[in-house]
Amino acid sequence: MRQPGAYSNLLSGGKTGPHSLPLARIKKIMKKSGEDVKMISGEAPIVFSKACELFIEELTKRAWAMTLQRKTRTMHKEDVAAAVMETDIFDFLVGLVSHTPNPSAPLES
Amino acid sequence: MPIATLTRIMRCVLPDHAKVADDAKETIQECVSEFISFITNEANERCHREYRRTVTPNDVVAAMEGLGFGNYVEPLTVFINKHRAQQDCCPPPRQATHQPLPPPPQMARLPAVDGYVPSPPAVDVANYLEMPQMRDYFVGPYRGGGGGGEQFDPFK
Repeated sequence: MRQPGAYSNLLSGGKTGPHSLPLARIKKIMKKSGEDVKMISGEAPIVFSKACELFIEELTKRAWAMTLQRKTRTMHKEDVAAAVMETDIFDFLVGLVSHTPNPSAPLES
Repeated sequence: MPIATLTRIMRCVLPDHAKVADDAKETIQECVSEFISFITNEANERCHREYRRTVTPNDVVAAMEGLGFGNYVEPLTVFINKHRAQQDCCPPPRQATHQPLPPPPQMARLPAVDGYVPSPPAVDVANYLEMPQMRDYFVGPYRGGGGGGEQFDPFK
């Protein structure tokens, strides 16, 4: 797998730089989350960029634990789904990860 | 969220030999968007309860604590304080306002240099052609009074 270059760390200011995730995109998602979300402080997306990093790290570690249980080295979507099911605070993601078509189900005529 | 950024954050917590399938990355990408929406909704409700309209960082952190992400509060608080300290230390450059342009720099007077050839003395232009050293220089119609067919040789 391609490893991150040394220069990318310099740009991001270390392992997890201050603004790793794009602030404009975060703000867009915040505005889309509800019709009555009108005004957002300038610092709120910055806080979210750090919070999302923490979230990604936690979800990744839990998913990797599921991967190791399967005795394999490649993390798949099923490992992420299993991590979500096992963690109470990730209940809001259950609908998202369980929305997968069942290939064995018969097609309706 | 950009996949490349997501991958970089994931690599920080995975061992070197770990591999991540594309479907796993896409799933986590969707989870991040859902996480932002989930927290924002809760933060926005807190704002409305307190009759405020702007979602602030405090609302976001309080929402996370209320929804079970209490372990994020301390690192986020440290991060916010560090960011604010950086802003105070090195504020962003101010936008240009309508300020008058500074006056152009004064031309410095050149010092006198040895061997400098001074400019020729002032010449009376009106009587330029009547000057003895100029009288023979000009021939033909430019010569004051009477024409002459004398050939002009500048090397004489």
